[in-house]
This record gives sequence, C-alpha cells and structure tokens, in this order.
Amino acid sequence: MESYLVAILTTASVYAILAMALNLQYGLTGLMNFGIVGFFGIGAYASGIVTETLGQPMVVGTLAAMVVAGVAGALISLLSLRLSGDFLAIVTLGFAEAMRLAFNNEDWLTRGPRGFLIMTRPVLDGLSREATPWFILAVFAAATLVTYLLLARLARGPFGRVLRAIREDDLVPATLGKNVLLYRLQVFVLGSAVMALAGSFYAHYIQTITPQNFTTPVAILVWMSVIVGGAGNMAGAVVGALVITFIYEGTRFLAPWLSGLDPTQISSLRFVIIGVLLIAMIRFRPEGILPERVAPSRRDADKSPPPQTRRGTT
Amino acid sequence: MQLILNSLASAAILAPAAIGFTLIFMLFHYANFAAGALAMSGAFAAWSANIGFGFPIWASGLFAMATCAALLVLTDRLVFGPLRGRSGGTLLLVAIALSFILENIVRFFYGSQIRSFDLPLTGPTVLWGLRFTPQTLTVIGVSAAATLGIGAILAFTPLGRGLRAVADNATLAAIRGLPVQRIELAAVAMAGALFGLSGTLVGLDLAIEPNLNWALAIPVIAAAVVGGLGSPLGAAFGAVIIGLAEEFTVAFISPPYKGAVGFAVIALVLVLRPQGLFGTAVERK
Repeated sequence: MESYLVAILTTASVYAILAMALNLQYGLTGLMNFGIVGFFGIGAYASGIVTETLGQPMVVGTLAAMVVAGVAGALISLLSLRLSGDFLAIVTLGFAEAMRLAFNNEDWLTRGPRGFLIMTRPVLDGLSREATPWFILAVFAAATLVTYLLLARLARGPFGRVLRAIREDDLVPATLGKNVLLYRLQVFVLGSAVMALAGSFYAHYIQTITPQNFTTPVAILVWMSVIVGGAGNMAGAVVGALVITFIYEGTRFLAPWLSGLDPTQISSLRFVIIGVLLIAMIRFRPEGILPERVAPSRRDADKSPPPQTRRGTT
Repeated sequence: MQLILNSLASAAILAPAAIGFTLIFMLFHYANFAAGALAMSGAFAAWSANIGFGFPIWASGLFAMATCAALLVLTDRLVFGPLRGRSGGTLLLVAIALSFILENIVRFFYGSQIRSFDLPLTGPTVLWGLRFTPQTLTVIGVSAAATLGIGAILAFTPLGRGLRAVADNATLAAIRGLPVQRIELAAVAMAGALFGLSGTLVGLDLAIEPNLNWALAIPVIAAAVVGGLGSPLGAAFGAVIIGLAEEFTVAFISPPYKGAVGFAVIALVLVLRPQGLFGTAVERK
C-alpha cells in the first residue's frame, strides 16, 4: 500500500508538470494545444536515445530532450501562426498523432512497438531497495516545485499579464505594441520544453517506453487536470493533477467490487467516468477548484466592487 | 486507375460523415470531433442488426442511420445544448471527451475484437485490368447517391432553404417566422443519419472495431476542412482529395503513415487557404 502511494505520487508529479505547461499555454494564453503527448513523447524518446544509445548521463538527456521539444514547439508554432481555438487544437492533435506513428515505425531509432529500454535512473549509487522509490519521488517532487516556482513567477509578472491580454483579445496587446506572435512563439517553446522535461523524467522512471505510452488518453488526463484545477491558476494545475491521478488510479481499487467484469471493461469504465467528469466540470464549474485570481490593477483598486476577473466562458 | 478506384472507395466512406460534420459546423459553429465515434457506433449498430437480429445488410444500414440520428440528437440536447455560445475550443474539448466516452461504452459492451458483416464471400472481379469487389461498387454507389440526395435537399426543398437561412443568421430566420428549433432538429438528425451511413459503409469495406473512432475522426474532419466548412458538396469533394492523398501515401511513401495524411492536409489547407477550396471566409473564433 505504501509503495503504491509512492508510485501514485510519482506519477502525479509527472502529470503536475505537464498540467503546468498546458496551463501556461491554455490557461494563461488561451492556446489550445492538444499535441501534449507529442512533446511528452519527444522528451521521453530524446532523453532515452541520448542516455542509452549515446551513453550520456541523465542530466544531458533531459536537457537535450528540452531543446529538441523546444525546437519542435517553435516549428509547430510557426506553422500555425494564423490559427487559434479549435483549429490550432486539430493541427496540434495531428502533430501528436504523426509523432506516435513515427515512434511506432522508425524502429532503427525508437525500437518501435517492442519498447525502448532505459537503464539510466535518477538515483544515487548505493541506495537500498526500500529507499530508491522514495528518493525518486523526492527528485520528482523537487522538479515539480522548481517548475511551479518558475512558472508561477512568470505568470504573476509582466510577461504573464501580456499573455492574459492575448487570451482575452489579442488585438489589445497588439495595439499596445506587443508582438503577439513572438509571445505565442515563446509560450509554445517554453511549454514544449517543460512537457519534454516531464517526458524525460517519466521515461527514466518507468524505464520501458512504447508508443502506447503517448496516446491521446494521456492528453485527456492533462486537460482534465487543468480544467478541474482551474485554468489560469498554476497552483490549480498542480491540485488538478493530484485529484485526477488519484481518481484515475483510485478507480483501480473498485475492481474487487466489479468482479463480473473483465479488465478491458474496467478500463473502459474508468475512461467513461473521466470523460463524464470532464464534461460535467465544463458545464457546471468552468472556473475549476481554484479559480484564477487576478490582482486588480492599481487604477481600479479604489473602485468598488473590485473587478472579479474570471473567465466564465472557458 | 486502380489507385483512383481505391481512392474513390476511401472517399465514399468519408463523404457522408464529412457532410454531416459540415452541417453541424454550419449551424452551430463548432467542430464535432465525435463524428468518428458516432460513425464507429453506427458500424456497431449495423453489425448488431446484421448478426444479432439477422437483418439483411440494407436494413442494418437503415437501423444504423436511425440509431446514429437518435444518438446525435440526444448528445446535442444533453451535452452541447447547454453549452451553446461557449468558445469553439471549449466545445471541441467537450466533443473529444464525448468521443472518448462513446468509444469506451462500445468497448465495454463489445470488447476490442475486430468484426465484420455476414456477407456472401465473393472473389474480386477483374474488368479492364481493374480489381474490385461488389462491395466496393456498392459503397461508391450508395455514397454518391447519398451525397447527391443531400445536395438536392439543401438546394431545392423548403427544409434546405430554411437550413441555409438558419445557418446564415438564426435570429433573422426566426424573425422571418422560420421554425428554427425544428429546422435545427431536422439537420442534427440528418447529420446523425449521415454518420450512421459512413459507419455502415466502413463496415462493408473494411472492418468493425472501436479504434475506428480515431481512424475516421481525423480524415472526416480533414475532408470537411479541405472542402471549406459551410459547403456540404465541398466536403464530398474534400473526401475525394483525402482519399487520393491517403492512397498515394500508401502507394508511394509508406503505408504506416496513412494516418498522418489527414493532419498534413488539414495543416496545409489551414495555412495556405484557410477558407478551404470552396468555402467563403469563415470567422474562426
């Protein structure tokens, strides 16, 4: 039970990092990136290839993963310069599907559906068998915390304000002389790099990656995390990721009561529950558990009531 | 020539669903990603009618169309109705979640095995150096008839005129005394029936499995986008282009990458000619 809890928390921190990256892109800037698993997968495979095929340490693998995914993010962003909303979502979804096909078919690089074995782990030498999972959890939690501190600071600062302005109406920041396309490009590159960070950590944690690890259900769980947690709120993304991972992993424990069902049926049932929850959340509480809070600007501070900026149209 | 025949068969499967997708987009301005899941549900409905109840294949097809029409009306009322006016992105997210739910409900009841209709086994006929099966001809014929039929309904009947008026400006249409609610209902049912038809055709030509959801959703949306959203006949033409692109990829590039063709085409069209080949500029917000 204890080891199970550690495993859930480790997985949850991977989802938390992914959710924060998506929150930067969607929650703050309003960019609908459905290609999360593409960048996540690039991170995992790039890191695996650098550490195993090229024999570098994990730090190099993670950095390489972030650079490769950042470049991919820049290309996708440039390709979809004029797109927004649902059409950006469809193009990014296409990118993720194309990446999955590439992972599956480029055997020479990714070893295809048989899976890519990764021996490098984020552990110190000489740790006991009992301490290893705890150590890995500590490393992952630290990475989550660092990501949170950096992105939350970014979201609060002037950069975050411009992003929120772009989300509400990109004409306004453009009129104020902000280069909207450059901001979009930066958000795409940074978000993709953070997703690759999650991918790299995930790969070195589970140690065997197959193209099946990077399919759309993962993207749905990350989107769930952001919507449930509260789009636009970095702490919300982390809380959302925890809640979703616990719901998703927790429903495993329902299995003993559903003894009449085979494993395929139980897994289908879990996804039906997650899907229904997502739709219900969008319908009844679009602002999420932790709604976005925006500090009133100094000029508005003396007006009452204070402007409650909340995006009810999510 | 063989390549063109194969492309036409692929296009024939996609065309009805692409037209249904376009109808929904014209009326409500959202991308119903659940198109693939609905067609897949239609394929399973037809399979149940064919194998479970022993219906002949044409009756199974009609049963699938009725089921999908009911299913789309139901989901539209239950899921999309209360969310009218939300942003297109939100509705796409909801539609993806819905497609996910439908796929897993089907998987829950039917499992993941691959199924096919109870059809007499016939070898392919060779005529003028072309190999084809009777099914291929049926699929192309039925699809072409359905496409022309929908085109005729939209162009010549009072329902079609009303539908175009509502799509253009629902408020104005209501002021002019058109029964907007009923026209919307008829259009949603029509789109659902088209999804069901695509599902039956895919069952005739290929196989029936829950993964059809993804395999269909992407090319269907691609066909609709290529044709220019808001132009049902454009969607049918878009289906032909997607069919050609897929078959050329299989023949000359690499069969496994067939699944990426739809996306590549969507990206190209959206970047180079956002209004599609036939559409006029659409406000994308």
